Amino acid sequence: MIKLTIDGKTIEVQEGTTVLGAAEAAGVYIPTLCHHPQLTPYGGCRLCMVEVEGAKTLQPSCTLPATDGMVVNTKSQKVLDARKFILTLIFSERNHFCMYCQVSGGDCELQNRAYDEGMTHWDLQPNWQPYEVDASHPFIVLDNNRCILCRRCVRACGELVGNYTLGFEERGANSSLVADYDVPLGESTCVSCGTCVQICPTGALIDRQSAYQGRETDVEHHISVCTECAVGCQMDILTRDNRLVRIEGDWDAELNHGLLCKHGRFLPLEDDRPRLLTPMVRKDGTLKAATWDEAFKAIADNLGKGKRLGAIASTRLPAEDLALFKSIFADQLDAGVVTSLEEGAATASLSALADQLGKSFESNLTTLKDTDVVLSLELDLVDEHEVAGFFVKRQLQNGTTLIVADSKPNQLGDKAEIKLPLKAGGEADFLNALLAAVEKGSSDIDLDNAAKALKSAEKPVIVYGVDFAHNASEAALDTLMTLAEKTGAALVGVKGKSNSLAAAQLNLDIPFTVDGLSTAYVLLGDEEPSQKLVKALESVLFVVAQAAYGSQVTGKASVVLPVGNWAEQSGTYLSLDGRLQKAVKSINPPEGILTNHEVLLKIAETLSVSPDMDWKASLMARIPTVAIQEA
Amino acid sequence: MKAYRSMVLVSSDPESLDRGALDVFNTLQKSITAFGLEEEISLSMISDLNKKGLDPLVLVYPDAVIYGSVTPQDIPHIVEEHLYKGRVVEEKQVSPYDLTGRVAWLSARKGTLPAENRIVLKNVGLIDPENIDEYIIAEGYESLGKVLREMPPQEVISEIKNSGLRGRGGAGFPTGLKWSFVAGAKGDKKYVICNADESEPGTFKDRLVLEGDPHAIIEAMMIAAYSVGADEGYVYIRGEYGLAISRMKHAIEQARAYGLLGKNIFGTDFSFDLHIHAGAGAYICGEETALIESIEGNRGEPRTRPPYPTTAGLWQKPTLVNNVETLANIPAIIRNGAAWYKAIGTPSSPGTKVYTILGNVNVTGLIEVPMGITLREVISIYAKGMKNNSTFKLAQTGGSSGSIIPASLQDTPMDFDSYSKAGVSLGSGALLICNEEVCVVDLAKVLLNFFRVESCGKCNPCRIGNKRSYEILSNISEGVGTLQDLKNLQTMSDQLYDLSNCGLGQTAGSPLRDILAHFRAEVEAHIKLKVCPAGVCPMSGRRAHQID
Repeated sequence: MIKLTIDGKTIEVQEGTTVLGAAEAAGVYIPTLCHHPQLTPYGGCRLCMVEVEGAKTLQPSCTLPATDGMVVNTKSQKVLDARKFILTLIFSERNHFCMYCQVSGGDCELQNRAYDEGMTHWDLQPNWQPYEVDASHPFIVLDNNRCILCRRCVRACGELVGNYTLGFEERGANSSLVADYDVPLGESTCVSCGTCVQICPTGALIDRQSAYQGRETDVEHHISVCTECAVGCQMDILTRDNRLVRIEGDWDAELNHGLLCKHGRFLPLEDDRPRLLTPMVRKDGTLKAATWDEAFKAIADNLGKGKRLGAIASTRLPAEDLALFKSIFADQLDAGVVTSLEEGAATASLSALADQLGKSFESNLTTLKDTDVVLSLELDLVDEHEVAGFFVKRQLQNGTTLIVADSKPNQLGDKAEIKLPLKAGGEADFLNALLAAVEKGSSDIDLDNAAKALKSAEKPVIVYGVDFAHNASEAALDTLMTLAEKTGAALVGVKGKSNSLAAAQLNLDIPFTVDGLSTAYVLLGDEEPSQKLVKALESVLFVVAQAAYGSQVTGKASVVLPVGNWAEQSGTYLSLDGRLQKAVKSINPPEGILTNHEVLLKIAETLSVSPDMDWKASLMARIPTVAIQEA
Repeated sequence: MKAYRSMVLVSSDPESLDRGALDVFNTLQKSITAFGLEEEISLSMISDLNKKGLDPLVLVYPDAVIYGSVTPQDIPHIVEEHLYKGRVVEEKQVSPYDLTGRVAWLSARKGTLPAENRIVLKNVGLIDPENIDEYIIAEGYESLGKVLREMPPQEVISEIKNSGLRGRGGAGFPTGLKWSFVAGAKGDKKYVICNADESEPGTFKDRLVLEGDPHAIIEAMMIAAYSVGADEGYVYIRGEYGLAISRMKHAIEQARAYGLLGKNIFGTDFSFDLHIHAGAGAYICGEETALIESIEGNRGEPRTRPPYPTTAGLWQKPTLVNNVETLANIPAIIRNGAAWYKAIGTPSSPGTKVYTILGNVNVTGLIEVPMGITLREVISIYAKGMKNNSTFKLAQTGGSSGSIIPASLQDTPMDFDSYSKAGVSLGSGALLICNEEVCVVDLAKVLLNFFRVESCGKCNPCRIGNKRSYEILSNISEGVGTLQDLKNLQTMSDQLYDLSNCGLGQTAGSPLRDILAHFRAEVEAHIKLKVCPAGVCPMSGRRAHQID
């Protein structure tokens, strides 16, 4: 421990703590701009300068390690003058006329710092040089006029996302933020994760969807979980007047600590599918608006029981809803087929393996954050489960070896140190060859190198995709287990959608067959139905569709039940690595609409069944592929 | 190897080649052979002799005679008279004093100026830099052998410490102490870097060593590496120094071929290899941590300290970074001992210093003199007085980051401590000597423009402060300055020193401070009287942003 004095307060901190960290611990406020808790300290803005006894000049508290006996002063006139000087320089550098800026009035860290220091004006002649605004990106506007050159975005793009799109060109007073080699952001290698926007302290990077829609003081925050894929990123949903304004990553989230991908951050706000606002019942061949009572009556009259009934639900529904769905249709109504839209593609064989082994065998996603060798099997982490992809990409600069084995073109392939050919359906052969290479070497150089890398790694991870899990035979999975055992590798399967694992735990993982079905209950939720499903349902006489948006399925259904979407309901999600997380309702659904859960309860009532309400017990009934941890 | 009686150099800069230097060279070769002198006389091409209008030049060593405007027709006569019979051909001889101060200038006057003392430039211009044998004959690699065979690393470091050698890059940090830091730092891998990114305006001392005596740097780096426990090194040479880069490359290849670089050098356990990294034109990459970033392939921005490179430098490994001139002292210190070195210069700053003299003086060029001589001596003795008997006004030391030295300080001994006591800096060793025709506002404007362009842009005070200071100075020089501007300049200077991340920003404000301290009346005349006393400033009445 280290003892130091800050503004007369003596405090003890761990070795390696910066003076800024120590000051925070001591409750002493030091203003910062380029500093961000998730980034490596940079020491560029010089706003956090403090006086250290014995030092010739002021010292940047964000990078200066605290040392024993250090005496720090953060409130001396010299320090206060320095802060004003720095802010004066920044204001004079570019166009910082606050009243024209979207983040002005509480959201701008520069403006807030200036208010903190009691600034009313600045003494230097301001800048006269305008910069072009880059609005070429579908979600992001880059306005160099507002930039304070703090490099937070550049560091976030590299250190957190591993993408290295943003950078600086020129030097000195001509330094300027650019994408790649100064191409428009919209034509750059940007993956639209939006981390740069979220981390920008000023209005230099703003997002189109929320610009001018509401300041910090106008919005409400809802800490929730993303319901797109099974990574399960925590996010902060910003709303105003029952309207989604923006989605941000939650900096405090243990797994994603602020990161989201475009599917979590931007695309949900782009959803322009027609919303279903009233129940509908087919009369004389056409769908007509109806009351809830009429709709439930039609269901009571027509929906069958037993083998000629089929039921299928989205894997992006809360676990509560999935459990209820399963209890009603499988347990109570004994339907012929009860499954999920994903039909267990990524989970069925893995769950079967867990059953067979009698134990969980997969690991946490956090293993990807500090692994030294990653073997990726039939999985394009640039395309799906992107945040997990960021974990891998950003590790590459630290010397992590990436081995990509895929049957299709893989966007991470260019970054891979070793690329191995893997034929679809040839998983068993491939793994056998790799296992043999691990055991006794191989004449194939790549295979041998991959084997050596895995063997010598301290924290190897084998991560596999949906296709792998779908194609892999029992024998292939056996080999995978042996391989993991021999190399000490952690296994991570990416599962698929946000509640795929929950669906698997509830045995909603069988193929959906319509042979012999006369009635079907389709719980789409927010999901857009696949063409395969649309076609399959054509032969079913009576289809009930429970959905938030209009689709080909609702258009052809006999009864349509409108429900709230992901933002309008609460519920629990089970991530691919077994974290149970709460998604919260952030806005109210349109009037007259029920939640998925409410509709299912009504169905149970209508069909006179009493479902099992203990969703958690149902979820735990089966041995999971990965240990389930409750939040 | 062969020892030659004489060495003949032919200038090979583009101008000389244009004027038939190649023919001169070929004729010389034929002529020397015709007289049967090929065993006694070595012949090479050399660039940077630079005497405008008198190319091509032919130099004869050790006599240090320079022949100018030489044509192939002159050659047989010169060879017969000078090389064969030993008589100087006076009608073709030119004065060394008019040369613009590169290799020929100083070599030609070796020993002709008082108190000159060659340690750093010992071999420069006297040996063929592309021939390792000549370096070896000139006591080269002797110190390395001595160190590897007879001295444990700790003893080498003590010797350097005892010599009192201080870094010649500008800051004057004790070299032995720096070595001991790296030696004491924990690490399985360590690096030695030679900072040859000599980018200070007006400074070209390192270039001379690199071009004229590259093996001295290799030898010194190996001694340093052995002492601190490193096995790999980089020479970071500024990209503009094409000849220095090719000479160093050649020297490294030769040293490798001789087994002087590589594994188990001199049959010991010590192994060392050396790489060259060419800079890409950024001044800031002369700052040691920016230099390290540049080698790592990153944008050249200085790191924050601590940690210092001595504990976490290149690839986060303990790294020793020394300037070319500093390193060039090492073999001599090992060869002759710390006591010998300490006897030269002043007690607190032993040794010699290489200066580049520029400006309004009669002779410009390079000198290597003991530490502690005064500016007055430099001007009167080495620079042969002010041009046209003009009056000395000020000298600007150390390239841009040095100080502006007023006439009142011209009798202050030029060593680290005396200068630091007087509140000025010795800098990198450039001496820009100015007479009354130079305006201090204009001078400061030029310097600040340099910093404005060369700041890396990482920290706010340096990136923005230099730009704003330049604009304020521009306004003053255009006759639209205010007295508030002077206050702002003073604040800039103080705050730049206090707040900047690296030496560039910290010293960028010193011209502002110096002109306000020593030449305030002249600056105020621009504002109050709208007059530039030196008659330099445009005083157009336009504001900075209306001009550029």
